Parts: sequence; C-alpha cells; structure tokens
Amino acid sequence: MNNSDILIIGAGVAGIEASLLLADTGKKVYLVEKTSLTGGNVIKYEDVFSNMECSTCMIAPKQQEVLQSENIELLTLSTVEKVQGEIGDFTVTINKKARYVSLVDCIGCGMCYDPCPVSLKNEFEQNLSEKKAIYVPCPGSLPNVPAINPKHCLQLNGKKTCNACVEACAFGAINLSDKDEKIEIKVGAIIVASGFDIVDPAGFPQFGYGKYPNVYTAMEAERLYASNGPTEGEITLRKGDAPPKSIAIIQCVGREQQGYCSSVCCMYSLKLAHYLKHKLPEAKIHNFHSDWCMPGKYYQKFHHDVKEEGVDFIYSPVDKIKVDGNDKGLSIEYYNGKNEKEKLSADMVILSLAMMQGKDTASLSKLLGIEQDKKGFFMNQGIQLGAVDTSKPGIFLAGCAEGPKDIQGSITQAEAVVGKVMSYLS
Amino acid sequence: MSDKIGVYVCECGPNIADKVDIKKILAEISALNEPPEKIIIAKKHKLLCSKEGQDFLADEITKNELTHLVIAACSPRDHDITFMNVCKRTDLNPYLYKLVNIREHCAWIIPDKDEATEKAIQYIRAGISRVTYQAPLTEKELDSIPDVLVIGAGIAGIEASLSLAGENRKVYLVEKTSSIGGKVTKFEKILPHQGTDLDIIQEKIQAVQENENIEIFTETEVEKAIGFFGNFEITLKNIHNDEQKNEFKVGAIVVATGFNLFNPGKIPRYGYGKMEDIYTSMEIEESNFKTGKILLKSGNPPKSAALIHCVGREEKGYCSRVCCNYMFKIAQYLKEKIPTIKITEFYQDLCLPNKADQKFFVDTKNKGVDFIRFKDIAVKQKEKEKFIEYTKIDGKKEKISAEMIILAPAIEPADGSKGMAELLNISLDETGFFQEAHQKLNPVATSIDGVFIVGSAQNPKNIPDSMMDAQAVAGKILTQLIPGEKLIPEVIISEISEAFCTGCQTCLSVCSYGAIYFDEDKNISIVNEAICRGCGNCVASCPSGAAHSKHFTSLQIYQEVLEAIR
Repeated sequence: MNNSDILIIGAGVAGIEASLLLADTGKKVYLVEKTSLTGGNVIKYEDVFSNMECSTCMIAPKQQEVLQSENIELLTLSTVEKVQGEIGDFTVTINKKARYVSLVDCIGCGMCYDPCPVSLKNEFEQNLSEKKAIYVPCPGSLPNVPAINPKHCLQLNGKKTCNACVEACAFGAINLSDKDEKIEIKVGAIIVASGFDIVDPAGFPQFGYGKYPNVYTAMEAERLYASNGPTEGEITLRKGDAPPKSIAIIQCVGREQQGYCSSVCCMYSLKLAHYLKHKLPEAKIHNFHSDWCMPGKYYQKFHHDVKEEGVDFIYSPVDKIKVDGNDKGLSIEYYNGKNEKEKLSADMVILSLAMMQGKDTASLSKLLGIEQDKKGFFMNQGIQLGAVDTSKPGIFLAGCAEGPKDIQGSITQAEAVVGKVMSYLS
Repeated sequence: MSDKIGVYVCECGPNIADKVDIKKILAEISALNEPPEKIIIAKKHKLLCSKEGQDFLADEITKNELTHLVIAACSPRDHDITFMNVCKRTDLNPYLYKLVNIREHCAWIIPDKDEATEKAIQYIRAGISRVTYQAPLTEKELDSIPDVLVIGAGIAGIEASLSLAGENRKVYLVEKTSSIGGKVTKFEKILPHQGTDLDIIQEKIQAVQENENIEIFTETEVEKAIGFFGNFEITLKNIHNDEQKNEFKVGAIVVATGFNLFNPGKIPRYGYGKMEDIYTSMEIEESNFKTGKILLKSGNPPKSAALIHCVGREEKGYCSRVCCNYMFKIAQYLKEKIPTIKITEFYQDLCLPNKADQKFFVDTKNKGVDFIRFKDIAVKQKEKEKFIEYTKIDGKKEKISAEMIILAPAIEPADGSKGMAELLNISLDETGFFQEAHQKLNPVATSIDGVFIVGSAQNPKNIPDSMMDAQAVAGKILTQLIPGEKLIPEVIISEISEAFCTGCQTCLSVCSYGAIYFDEDKNISIVNEAICRGCGNCVASCPSGAAHSKHFTSLQIYQEVLEAIR
C-alpha cells in the first residue's frame, strides 16, 4: 500500500505553507529543518515589500500553527542523510542533532542565557551581535526554545565543568547528556523547500566589502533596521559613532556572474531605501540601479512612492562601479547615464547581492537523486510535467530551492506542490 | 443555578511566582466567594501548560463541576488553544473559559512586586466578571459539495480543471467564446525554456475534452452565483440564448478569466491605427500562426523592424512582466524567417524575473538584435517612410527608420472583470485585476472563502506561472474541500438582533465577506452564519446597536472593563 506521509525539507515560508495544508487533511508531515527555528529568511525582515506589512507578524501565526499541529512532526537541527525507495514508498534516514533543551518542557523564559559564560558571534544576525552558547537566534524565534551549540558550550566541549544553564532553568528542560539521533521514517512523497543563499560579497572586491567596515550586505542592513535585530532597529555603523548621513545602495551585485536576475532585489532595495528614509529622514540616499525588475502589479507604484520620498536613483552599470575608502568615509566611482565618470561620497554602502542556490543543494541533489539546472538550483520539469516536479517521481520542489522568487511566488509554488501531492497520493 | 468558577493561577516556574504575590492573589480572589450564587475556587499550579498541568485542570473542572474557568497565566498567543483543548476534554464549553495574561501584562513588565500583584488581581477580577457573561458556543458542521466551477477556459482554467477533476469531483468549465484554449492557442511557439513547442497545450485541451469528469460549456457565462464555501448555487446562461440555462451546485469557484491587451491607439505617439504596418504583438502572433509568415501589408517581408516595449506601462501604472520575453521571441521569429532583417528593440527596463530569462535575452542579442534603452519615444512618418524618434538614456536624440513596427501593449484586466467581481462579491484592486486575499500569503484566494483567482486574472503572468496558480488552487481545494467531509465554519461570528435592526443596511456596505443579506419582507439585515468570519465591522458600524459579535458582546466587554478599571 502506498504511504501517504510526507517529508518536507526546509521550514521556511514554502515548507511551512505546504506542511499546514497537508496536515489539515490529516496527513502526517515530517518537517525537517537544519536550523533550530522555523521561518527561514522571511523572519529576518522587518517588513515585506510592497505593502510594508510587518513580516514576523505575518508569518508568526503560521509558525505557531506548525508547532500546534498534531499532524506535523517538526524536526529541528536535522538533516536528511539517506533516501531510498520510490514514490509511495521512500525510506529516509534523518540525522537529528541534539538540541539539549526539551521542546516540551522549555517555556522560553530565557533565564538560561545570562548565566552562560560563553559569547559567540550570532550568524543569524549576520554577525552583527553576539549570543551565548545557549541561545535563540533572535527574540520571537519559534519554537521559542533555545538550543545549545556543543562546540562552544564549555561543559560539552570538555573545556570546563559548567552547569550554569541547567541550574538556571526552573523547568528542568535542559539535558546536557542529550545525544544526536538517527531517525528512520517512511514517506510517500518528498517536498524539497530548502531555500536559497546569498552570493558571497568577498567575490566582488571592487565594492570593498570586508575591507571597509561600513560596506554592508542588504541582509545586514535588513537586520540593522529590524526592531528585534542586533541594534533594536537603530541604524548604527560598524565604524563611527553617528548614524550615516549618506547611504549608497548598489543593486545587481553578482547578477552578471550568476547569469540571471534574482527578481526580488529591485524591490527589496527600494524597501531598504524606504526604511532608511523613514528612520533617517535627513540622510541622502542614492540607489545605483540598472534595469528595474518589478514583476508584480503593485510594485511600480512602490517604486514611484519611494522616488517621491526623495531617494536619488542613478542609472549606472554595476560592472563599472567601484567603492573606495578613506578616513572620511566611502567614495563611489561610477559612470552616469551619459557614460561619464563621476564620484560620490557616502557614509554607508549597501550591496544588493544576487540570490543563489542553497549551499547544500549539490549534496541534497545527490542524496535525493534529482537534477540541478545550469544555474545550480534544483531543476524543474518545465510545463510538460510541471514547475514543481523534479527529475524523480515523488520528489517535488517549492520556493527558492527551485529558483529566486518572492514570498508570494514561494507560497504559490508550495500550494501547487500540495495540489500535485494530493493528486498523486489520493 | 449558581455559578461555580474555577480560578487557576500559573506560577510559570519563577516567571510569575517570583514577580507577583500569588498567595495574596489567591486570598483576594477567594474572598469574592458569594455562595450560593457565586462559588469561587482559587488555586495555583507550577505550570498549567505542562501535561501534568493540563491533566490537573481537566480533573479540577470535572471534580468540582465547574461552570466557568479562568486561568491567570501567559499570553493567549501562547496557550489559549491549549486550555480550550483542555475544556474540550471535559463537559465545560470552551467558550466559558477565559485566559488572563498576568505574565506579559504584569509579571514581566512591572518591577514593583506589590504593584504587579495589584494589577494581576484587577485583571483576574475582570476576567471573572467577563467569563460569567460569556455564552456557550458550539461548532457547526456543514455539508459540502466537492465539485468546482471554473470560469474561463484559457491555459489557467484548463490546468485548474485537469488538476481538480477526479472520480469524486466534477468540474464545470465555462467559457464565453466558442472554443477552449484561450490566447495561448494563437501562439506559434512558447519560450524555449518553457518547453519546446505548443503540443503540450493541444494535449491539455484534448485531455480536458476527453475527461468525463469535466463538463465544458462554451459561449456561456455565469448568470448567478450565490452561497458560500462548500455550497454555491450556480446558474449558467448561453450567451446567444437567454432561455438556455444550466443550474447546479458547486463547493468552490475558480476565476480564470485572463486578460486583455491595452489598446495602443490610446497613445497617439505610437501611430497605431494611423500608419500602416504598425502591429501589436498579438496581431503578429496571430498572423504568423495562421500564415506562417510575417509580411508587410505590401506582401513583402520587412527589411527592418522596430520592437517597442512598455506600451501603456506608465499609463497602467505597472510592469506587465511577460512582454520583454515575448518580444525576444518575436525578434527570433523574424530572424528565422527573414535572416537579413535588421531588428531594434526599444525598451525601458528589461524585466527578466525567471532564472532562465537572461540567457534567452543574451541568445536573442547574439542573433544580431539591437537593444536601445529609451527615455522618450515616438513614431513619425515622412511620405511612406516610418521613423522611430527617441531620446536615449544619455539624453541624446536619435532616429531610425523601420518598415515594420511591433508594439508590446500592457496587459490589462479582462473585459467584464468588474461585473464578475460584483457577481461573486470579490474585489478588484487599484490596478483593476482581482484582488487576492493576501498579497503575500494567500495569492490565489479572495476575500470570499471558496472563490479563487488564477493566472492573469490576478496579475499579468506567463504560461508556467498561470499553470502554477492553477495547481496552487488545486492544492487549496483538494485539501479543504474533501468529498464526504464536513466543513466547520467560524464560531465567533456576528449576530443581528431582529428587534433592534432598523433596516438601514449600513452593515451590508461594510461587510468584506458578503455575509450579510437583507430580508426585504422583514426589512432587516441577517447574518449568514456560514460566511461570517467575525471581523466585527458590522458591529462597529451599526447605528442602532443591533449587531453584536458573539463572544465579544458589549456587555461582556463592559463588565470586563468595569472590573479592570475599578
């Protein structure tokens, strides 16, 4: 008999949407997430374009529903290790890392953070802040239960005897002898919603990222603005005490190298410009762009509104832009529309970087036996079979694992996958 | 009968216990005991949300035969559902319970323990006061019909029909023209990365025609659609014969009415309709599809062609998303058929949102097509020769001559969208397309449960995205409208009192869900319980106080506030 349980890889917005719809029909869903929390990238944004709705307020009820659903088994800190079988009958081995904190007993009060003597860079916050060895990545994380990093926990890495968090927990929720587990599950279909990554800015030295502290990635700028972010929404610079008086946003960084337009950067760059105008009304904001890609019916109006707010739009080919620095700040050399060389100074530079396939796409594709396209994303089967199908029956795609897209596109694809899975398994 | 109210204070480990004086709370709350009318049982627990805590509560409810339950603990966001589920395990109606948040509202924010304790007591008193005015509510179950009406037999409607039709689910596919397939059938080719040729479209059309669970009505429109998710009554009407009607019931409606093209004649500077050999992209597609040739009116192949993008973009206020790609396609048609032709594409922005689009652009460019980014553009004629006069991005004015001019008009909402929106009680947005339930999270649904929008009816879309929408709707309907299963509508909804309603109909104008109808005989408004979502708009707008929201009545709120501010 065909198994109608489903494995979903990735608890971002696409994985969540697919899980909830399928769980609603009584199907058992295993939602496997490699990090300690759900919500993917969407929870990193303060607002979403173009209606500027609060992002976490939008997605948190769905995350909460995942946690409360009886039919969804959420496996955090987990990765797929082995897949055997075929549609209707897959056997999957999952490697579930120890969390050391019980999802059942912990109430998320946070009393364990302060006593922990270890401080680490918080990569969720783009390394803009620190966290403890027992941590939730940011306030509002769901599940609101910390995890312990065994590499850095003094007790777990054997450097010192330390029981501080265990003693601080009033609920007995911390268990330092928790062990990694291998779990074997049987499912009828697999949905890959493993998301995307951002290209490494180190690959573009002409923009000075890493060399000049006040050059930021768009995701860093996003977290700087976020009210639950490392500065609680205050726009401060890595170097210098005052907030920036002038900011340059450079679009299309990495587009040429990747060979495609990421389709969302124009809009999120406009959103960043709007954010900054809102928080720093006096600041000059320059946006270096090439062609505007605004494929939604509400998007051009947003572009128009941001222009009205006084953002300076400069049409300039990105391959000729260079960022230099000196004691006074940053200087941007570029070619204007007339192909004349110009210079402009700024206190802060933000790079809108291309999206790329998730870092584990290649290993996942091998493991699942599905193909990648020439750009590195998982390959869909075109309209012949469908944009949610992979080269292997029973394994489907949703969200940015298949290619760059916005939240709406990820949701639509997740719902489309559910449509396919329902007809396959019924 | 007397009220027997159980009040349970959660210590939440140290979170509440350390910050408020629970002993004092219990003493003061116990003092509210007024037997025999009002009996109060006040107790504390270490952690009510734990399994042990939930069992304790269920046991207390049953053992003490509680009539009402008040829990003083955390935010309802965390555990409202948890405690409602505890009630459901017992005989206590879950709407006779109230969660009072003394953690986020008191313990965590007030440093002074006495102050926090006082506030917590006030809040709990308010909760006790409210809960006694609450009424038991019960979930209703409604029968549902799994069948679906699909309006529009273009590629989105066809894909939706194929994805939905099955042994237990019939699909009624309604098309106002005489054939199915929509605009896609007029194309010679689709984009290379979308598939090799159009066989797939013909296969789908055939599959729809052969599917015994799909009933096709051509030259037909929807005359009436009333009802709610799971149960819509539909009347169809033949366009040429008013008498020819079909009536049936469906559970859901999919709007796949497609798009129109902006009429470039509305912008005189493009010369469309005034000069010869200026065509819209669709006209080229059609004539190419019919004859296999792209020729000038004179019958000769054009030596040069200018392809102008973004016609009407500024006027419509949005980018139509698909035009850049299909203009590359048309350039490639021309190059294949007339290898010596000189082609120039005039664009404002190249919108290439799919991961394969940029390669298609590069391939087109490599075939010898010129691309010019313009600021202003106009078509001029001097004797028989046509010129494109344009201002480049650097401000330079230039002109070139072209024998054939092809315009990419903006995609606009289909004719009749407004009427369709009124018929189905759904909304159009500021661009005139159908408005989605939520721009990000619910793009194929509308404000009316059970009415869905797909393809270019929602936003200009290409073929794969239209098909994706159709599959997404299948995802929604196949999971929500399961044959043989009942639907459970919202419990906390509005009610309109017959005695107080003056028939002013203000509520009808503010209801976003079309849940209120007017009873002409009685001259009053009535809430349809299957549709109402309990938003409260009618309650707030009713001038005579006839509308109230179950579980949020004025009396409940008043009694709660009265105690809270004492």
